[in-house]
Amino acid sequence: MRNFQTRATLLLAGVLLVVAGAAWAQEAPGGQTEAYRSFPLIGSRLAVWGAAQLHLYFAAFILGVPMFAIIVEFIGWRTQDARYDWLARQFMKLTFAAYSATALLGGLLTFILITLYPRFFGYLVGIFGPTMWVYAGLFFVETFTLYLYYYGWDWLSGPRKGIHLGLGVLLNIWGTILMFVANAWLTFMMSPSGVDEAGKLTSLWGAIYNPTWMPINVHRLIANITFGGAIAAAYAAFRFLGARTDEERAQYDWMGYVGNFVAVSSLLFLPFAGYWLGREIYAFNQTMGITMMGGFMSWLWVVQAILIGVLFIGSNYYLWLGMERIPGSERYRPYIPYLIMILAAGFIVWATPRSMVATLEEARAMGGAHHPVLGVLGVMSAKNTAVNLMILTTFVSFLLYRRANRVAIVSWVRSGMAAQWIIMGLAAAIVTFYGVYGYFVESIVRIGFSVYQVLSVLAAIVLVMAIDIPMFRRARSTGSIRWGQIAPRSQYVLILLAVSFTWLMGLMGFARSGIRQHWHVYGILRDTSPEAVTPALGYAANMITAVAAIFLAFVVLIFWLGGLGERGAKG
Amino acid sequence: MRAPLIVKVGTFAFAVMGVYAYYANSIPQIQSTLPEELSLEGGNVTPEQLVKAGEGIFKGKGTCEVCHRIGQKGTRAPDLAGIGATATKRKPGMSAKAYLIESLLDPGAYLVEGYPNIMPKMDRPPIWLNRSELWATVAFLQSMTGMVDVKLEDIPKTAGAVVAELKLPGDPKAGQAVFMGKGACIACHKAGALGASPIGPDLSQIAKIQTPEYIMAKILNPAEMGTVAGYPPNLMPPTLGQTLTAKEYTDLVSFLLTLKGEAGAEAPAASK
Repeated sequence: MRNFQTRATLLLAGVLLVVAGAAWAQEAPGGQTEAYRSFPLIGSRLAVWGAAQLHLYFAAFILGVPMFAIIVEFIGWRTQDARYDWLARQFMKLTFAAYSATALLGGLLTFILITLYPRFFGYLVGIFGPTMWVYAGLFFVETFTLYLYYYGWDWLSGPRKGIHLGLGVLLNIWGTILMFVANAWLTFMMSPSGVDEAGKLTSLWGAIYNPTWMPINVHRLIANITFGGAIAAAYAAFRFLGARTDEERAQYDWMGYVGNFVAVSSLLFLPFAGYWLGREIYAFNQTMGITMMGGFMSWLWVVQAILIGVLFIGSNYYLWLGMERIPGSERYRPYIPYLIMILAAGFIVWATPRSMVATLEEARAMGGAHHPVLGVLGVMSAKNTAVNLMILTTFVSFLLYRRANRVAIVSWVRSGMAAQWIIMGLAAAIVTFYGVYGYFVESIVRIGFSVYQVLSVLAAIVLVMAIDIPMFRRARSTGSIRWGQIAPRSQYVLILLAVSFTWLMGLMGFARSGIRQHWHVYGILRDTSPEAVTPALGYAANMITAVAAIFLAFVVLIFWLGGLGERGAKG
Repeated sequence: MRAPLIVKVGTFAFAVMGVYAYYANSIPQIQSTLPEELSLEGGNVTPEQLVKAGEGIFKGKGTCEVCHRIGQKGTRAPDLAGIGATATKRKPGMSAKAYLIESLLDPGAYLVEGYPNIMPKMDRPPIWLNRSELWATVAFLQSMTGMVDVKLEDIPKTAGAVVAELKLPGDPKAGQAVFMGKGACIACHKAGALGASPIGPDLSQIAKIQTPEYIMAKILNPAEMGTVAGYPPNLMPPTLGQTLTAKEYTDLVSFLLTLKGEAGAEAPAASK
């Protein structure tokens, strides 16, 4: 395994070192740069699409997991609970196994770009050349930090645990900077800046700090944690389902719960980051924004709505199933049907399209492309309201889970509970008020309402937790959580969530890339290749499914390979 | 026989993704095709053909329909029903075709009340209509209760031009010296802060409104390139091009290409 890692790292390093030279080595004898070359059988576009999507899946995973692994390790260190240390190590084992696949796929993606899109890649090198050297250097540093962190786990234990945690922090810092550097390249393609009208570089920092760079950085940072948590939870679910002892089941049940907790907690913040990104896209170029939300991509958001609905309902369902293994949770069961109702209503609103595909007769009967009654649910006012209420509902599910086996004994419990209900009720009222009021104002005013909705939900979460933590600090226990005694279908829910996150990530990648339409660099460098058409949703969905399936198969293979060492050690 | 766990989990995962893919395939399929270039220059085209071509641009490459409706109030952009007639009333003293051309090339110049300044310049990327396409679009808009009188010549020659930096070997600073000295251009032309003569057209924005090809040809052969309306013909010396050396000529063109009517356009002078 270690040799494989080293080879993969060296391969990527080699690729990065030849990038600049290779990009400029495309000059034909006549001095003309060949713009495109074709890839056999599947064509250049699918080749670069597949490599990019696969690379991003693995990259997201290996960047996301260490972020929460270090927190879990820290908790273990502070509480002296060995289970947390075991869990952090399990998470890092997955990262370590996937690291080389990320490097290999990054190398493959670079090769594909150099060979199939030489002029475009040459242009990017011309703009971002210096940052590519920074990227290569950081990659080396990150690799060595990871080696030290992973292999030094036992060596840096006990009194040296602080050093080990420091290495983990460093690992996360290098990874985050690496991602920020790579994000500069791809966001420049969407929203170029730092160049003149002819595409000539005027400021490297301007090109890096382009309008969508920071929103994408934040969005990906959160999404990576969500994705890492979901994949780790699915791994745990798989191990749970295959476990032969109660002890093993208990361990992986707990691991699955923590992974899912990480995924769902960060998921709650993702719509806000997505909203910021969308707003920046509109601010950068209205045409691009309108293409994304109202143009040929508008139907993509209906598919996204289905996936988001599955994620929210699935996450809540897992929490409710988990409550069954907690003594004392019975008192909260009556609330669940109401939570289901809110989630279902939110899901329906979010999945309602604004414009209906209808025959001429149907359109005449409706009086237009919008349904006379349901059409009002298709606009952003309704959808923002729905998602914010779904986030609040999920938070309530988590609160119920959190206090399932605890009874608060502080003297101010009644007023604390009342304050919590008032805060959440107020947040829901603010969200609903601005959702309704949005129908009566101009769109430019309406856009600003989303900020109030988001802030009220975030504030409610923070305030309610600020009350909840001290209120349940010395709570009376109604029994311990019976880890491992959860219905097996709950583990399929974890797998469903991981698969849905994977597929959704592919879909959002298509949206981000597709809104550039026939531009390599929007408004600057046109895609003149025979494959410049941006495909329809069905075609994209088939491709996303194929790549996601390959990714999941790779994940299973890599985890299996990782498990071989474990088995060997046991034997 | 019970299926191995990996088979069960794999089947489940594929089934989930299959449902998503099936759903995505079952809703309307719209793809973004590569816009085709329409060229009507030099060809005989009837007004009907022009209007039809314009309608195609309006619904296709121009992506106008994303915001504008015809006969229906839009939330992002005004209703264009009857725009051919309303265009005459929008800006006092401006003809319908001039207003429509301005609306396409510089949409922020006049905003219909209640609508934000969100329309992109139609001759610039990413929409990037060429002159023929702009001509046809204006004709289509005029055709809605108005008279189609727009000509290709009405569309500025720089509209839709390929954005590319012209690399001339000339030195703009030296060109400015030619402009003020040997070429004696300053005797008739104003160029930003330089000169004030009203005899010839003001060249302060020449790089913005004319192509490099036009500027180069105008110096070499002024009479053949025509005279700007409102100015006396044949005043510009026909031998100007011959009196300049090749270097002076390229320097002068380089200088003229810095005149974009913006602050700092006279950078060579300022740095002297």
